[in-house]
Amino acid sequence: MKKLLATAVLGALTVGGPMLAAGSAEAGPEDNSLTIGLGEEFPNLNGYLNTARDGVVMTRHLFDTLIWRNPETFEYEPLLATAWRQIDDRTWEFDLREGVVFHDGSEFSAEDVAFTLNRYADPEAGARSQASVSWIERVEAVDPFTIRIVAKDPFPAALEFIAGSLPIYPSDTYQASGSEAFGQAPIGTGPYALTGVEGGTYTLTRNTAYFMGGGKGTPSIETLRVRAIPDSATRIAELIGGGIDWTWNVPSDQIDQLSNIPRVTAVLGSTMRIAMVALDAAGRSGPETPLADVRVRQAINHAIDRETIVASLVGGDGQTINVPCYPMQFGCDDSSAVVYDYNPEKAKALLAEAGYADGFAVDMASYRDRARAEAVQAYLAAVGITANLQMLQARASFSAWREGQIGMWYGDWGSFSIADTSASMGNFFNGGNNDGARDAEITALIEAANSSVDPEARERSYAEAIALATERAYWVPMHTIVMGYGYNSDLDFTPHVDELPRFYSTSWK
Amino acid sequence: MWAVILRRLTVAVMVALAVSVVTFGLSHVAIDPALALAGDSATDLDVEAIRERYGFDRPLVVQYADYLWRLLQLDFGTSYLTNRPVLEMIAERLPATALLAALSIAFALALAIPLGVSAALRPDSIVDRFALFFAVAGQSIPNFWAGLLLILLFGVQLRWLPISGSDTLAHFVLPMIALGSYATPALMRLTRAGMLDVLASDYIRTARAMGLSWLSILFRWGLRNALLPVISLTAVQFGFMLGGSIIIESVFAIQGIGYLAWQSMSRADMPVIQAIVLMISLFYITLTLLADLLNAWADPRLRTPA
Repeated sequence: MKKLLATAVLGALTVGGPMLAAGSAEAGPEDNSLTIGLGEEFPNLNGYLNTARDGVVMTRHLFDTLIWRNPETFEYEPLLATAWRQIDDRTWEFDLREGVVFHDGSEFSAEDVAFTLNRYADPEAGARSQASVSWIERVEAVDPFTIRIVAKDPFPAALEFIAGSLPIYPSDTYQASGSEAFGQAPIGTGPYALTGVEGGTYTLTRNTAYFMGGGKGTPSIETLRVRAIPDSATRIAELIGGGIDWTWNVPSDQIDQLSNIPRVTAVLGSTMRIAMVALDAAGRSGPETPLADVRVRQAINHAIDRETIVASLVGGDGQTINVPCYPMQFGCDDSSAVVYDYNPEKAKALLAEAGYADGFAVDMASYRDRARAEAVQAYLAAVGITANLQMLQARASFSAWREGQIGMWYGDWGSFSIADTSASMGNFFNGGNNDGARDAEITALIEAANSSVDPEARERSYAEAIALATERAYWVPMHTIVMGYGYNSDLDFTPHVDELPRFYSTSWK
Repeated sequence: MWAVILRRLTVAVMVALAVSVVTFGLSHVAIDPALALAGDSATDLDVEAIRERYGFDRPLVVQYADYLWRLLQLDFGTSYLTNRPVLEMIAERLPATALLAALSIAFALALAIPLGVSAALRPDSIVDRFALFFAVAGQSIPNFWAGLLLILLFGVQLRWLPISGSDTLAHFVLPMIALGSYATPALMRLTRAGMLDVLASDYIRTARAMGLSWLSILFRWGLRNALLPVISLTAVQFGFMLGGSIIIESVFAIQGIGYLAWQSMSRADMPVIQAIVLMISLFYITLTLLADLLNAWADPRLRTPA
């Protein structure tokens, strides 16, 4: 109901929009600042502790990683490290950039890298995403500008994580302030420094001492003002009114209306995020669950018309997927997947064969999009399955799945923006809390793939895992997620599939 | 009078204690705090470690006793997410919410009492009809919808007022109207009903027969008696507003208690949620206590035990 009304308001805004004329010049281009509207505040800005998407976006501006992956070419480029090489199966060596300074003026050296990575490789430090750090055995400084990272086992995805999720902190400052204070007043080497937090607005100022020659380049916009505005209709109103210059998570169905407004550009960008209906095959929600039967899971796969859902409810260039990973990820070969066509008759036959001719009831949780969740519910109802839908907040919904309270979870997964299947299947078929299949055979294959250094052997293991996971129908792989962006038309902004807006390479036209 | 105060205080303490049991119980039944804390990629081992570190593995009664003991020392615990003392986080947010609540209740009273009185003076007149229409509309339009309409009109079309945030007093105008107009109808209808009752009473007729001036009758004897229930209702409404309106604060991105509550709920930050619920109930208890005492002061009949 609330969404319906919000849509109506937006409709009214759009009709009225052209009357606004292009007047009221905003501060943005004039003082070279950018006001960004995000959905939530940041409990802290420590990149190891704040893994929520908006927080990750912030930390990528405040901190640098050793290397950087170019979002266009997918190549690794120098950032804090100027060159790197693999010494053996488990060891990488990095030459560090000289003359880099942190926001507080202290100089960057190998000691900072060794300190930061060793600190968070220790589970006691409480890194939220243990997968990002648990592979590290130790990090040692060879000399002031050379370090070596040693993995516990051969770990082929190492560079992905080094480029993605391992920001470097100033060791002295961090130790002097402590983890908590550091999270409130972070100091990095990044293109922007945090210079103020007031009433939910974070001010980031361009780092004038930012080093040249790194992949991130030199930022153009001087000041980023990041405001937390939880209500999406309010964010859109602020965008139309010129109170903010950039926002995202604009609902797909409002993109067209919004793009009719002068001065506002609204686009849907494809992302690496994949949506799935994960099925409780392991019986965590109750040992009697019909979902333990492979025929029931296959029936559910046949029951849902994914093509129609994608065409009418996803929008943009959203795609159906047939694999439990993002097809562009290394190892995610969709030719090895068993594909289930939309065939409700076959679904009913499979259900009857499994002894559920009269159907059954199951709890399903979801969070992102009620219309899509209700479509799935309706398709299931058509073959006799009653799915009790619980629309929850993202975190609560994911917890319900992880705690095994529900039989089905229509959720999604962004792989921490890492282009390797270890970040998708590696998080859902590894026997951990996310894993509703608990299939030892698949877990073994994933482990083998995660720790092999031979790319072909890795591909083979993942392909086999994909074949098993789809044949045994542990998921209904659904579709990619598209992200709705809305921004001032004078802004030169490029969305990327990894859902990481890069304001350091954004500029006013 | 002292007996009344003592009796009401005892009840207030009992209610507060009951609320603390309920909030504590609910928050431990609703979710598994260890799992919520452990985050997205935790293994079973991580979860166990957290369970131990935070003492979630102890019997609930022990955890509750511990919780209560710390409460009595004004220690509301530490937020799971920010690792900051909860009291500090709430204290930071309280001014915005208190300002909004005070403005909204003042706005509501400023509308409700004159409208209510004029409606009572001329029942079924145009004024009365308008007041009724206003009451029905105010009560039935959802908060967030009114908020969005206000944003649309004053923020986007006319551009008179800022749309969201809590930086300046101007930022509070739209939320004040949205929140205040929701509180207005009940106060206004109550004022009208009370006023009609009082105006029909014997002592007013006597006063009029004595030839006292109509205005002084109206304000010295009429309004004072008619407002007794309005005082109680205002206290309850004010308590409700001090707890922070989750909807209004989210719609207008006001950095207040309601916004904090919403944030903490969506992230399962239990110590913060517990503290807010407890605080809201303490506000209610205190304000109803105050209203009772105020009524007892204004109306001597209420001072004797029933």
